[in-house]
Amino acid sequence: MDLHKVKFEVLRFRPEQDQEPVFQSYEVDCMDDWVVLDALNAIKDDIDPTLSHRWSCRMGVCGSCGMLVNGRPVLTCAAFVRDYPDVIRVEPLSNFPIVRDLVVELDGFVQKIQSVKPWIIRRIEKDLSEGEYRQSAEQLDEYKQFSMCINCALCYAACPVLANEPEFVGPAAIALAHRYNLDSRDEGNAERFPVLDSHDGVYACSFANECSQVCPKHVDPAMAIQQAKLTDFLEWAHILPKKSFT
Amino acid sequence: MSAHAPAPAAKTRTAPARPPSGFPLGFYRYRNYVVFAATSLFMMLGCAMLLDALHALGQGEAAWQAFLARMARPYYVATSTVVLLFTLYFVFRFAWVGRKIAAGRIGPIPRPPVPMAITGILPMGGFVTLWLLLLLILGGFWL
Repeated sequence: MDLHKVKFEVLRFRPEQDQEPVFQSYEVDCMDDWVVLDALNAIKDDIDPTLSHRWSCRMGVCGSCGMLVNGRPVLTCAAFVRDYPDVIRVEPLSNFPIVRDLVVELDGFVQKIQSVKPWIIRRIEKDLSEGEYRQSAEQLDEYKQFSMCINCALCYAACPVLANEPEFVGPAAIALAHRYNLDSRDEGNAERFPVLDSHDGVYACSFANECSQVCPKHVDPAMAIQQAKLTDFLEWAHILPKKSFT
Repeated sequence: MSAHAPAPAAKTRTAPARPPSGFPLGFYRYRNYVVFAATSLFMMLGCAMLLDALHALGQGEAAWQAFLARMARPYYVATSTVVLLFTLYFVFRFAWVGRKIAAGRIGPIPRPPVPMAITGILPMGGFVTLWLLLLLILGGFWL
């Protein structure tokens, strides 16, 4: 297979020596079917073993390898080198502190995800002997799209609201909350209401729609947020009941 | 609980979070969003003009005629045109993004058979139509 030389400009940050992130260039012989992640692995394996980046599944499932490639948040395992010009700029996800090179600090992101209680909440758990919680295909269809999120955080990197308001709960967490609120087996929307209805909740979103543009799984978090706004309002106005047992 | 919050003290020193590439004006989608946000200023100006019109209407025929004469001046016409353009941009972008609101089920209310058409396009289409009618009236076409 043909090799062609591609120049990669990678943002480096080594906390023990760099005061701030700096770009470093690498010339990489890339094969035609390589993705950007392959090139980063080639740099680490053959050129500069000090380069740090996250990756795992290499098939767009784990959500680990999200980075900015030529300024846009993408999964590098799904970004083919041939689709870019001969100079490719790779940076860590925006809106997150940088731990090292292309690795970002995700603690705040994980806390936000946890804050919306993304699990099924039941008033009374059925005994195992009573069997599983059954759900029709129509009931599954209500939330299935929002359950496809892989927590890759690309939506957070693209969100202009987060750039200005770091406390904003954010697209993935709200989409996940909406996913469980729509689940026929769940009874916990009152538990999530305080987070979604807070100052940094759904109403902080101002319709940029950028989260949906970059979502690699077509979750459409912007849609989830707008639907959550309406549902939140209807619950606040007592038009819709809040399922609660606390 | 901030996405920009630095790592806890026990961890490695982090570099600060950087804004999205091309934000606010370097990338066209962010630019469109910023223009959308900026429409609020022009719509505020439009509201002030509307209040001015209502005030003149309440002051009687002479005041109303003076208002119409004022509105006919070139800089008022230019300002009205700019306000109209930004208002139209707001309406169409709001309708474009707002269509997402209706596609899902809302609580126990069953999803309509054609959700986008019934709960999305019709209300938003009506909203746009009403807005345009208001602009036509304010523009003097029906006066």
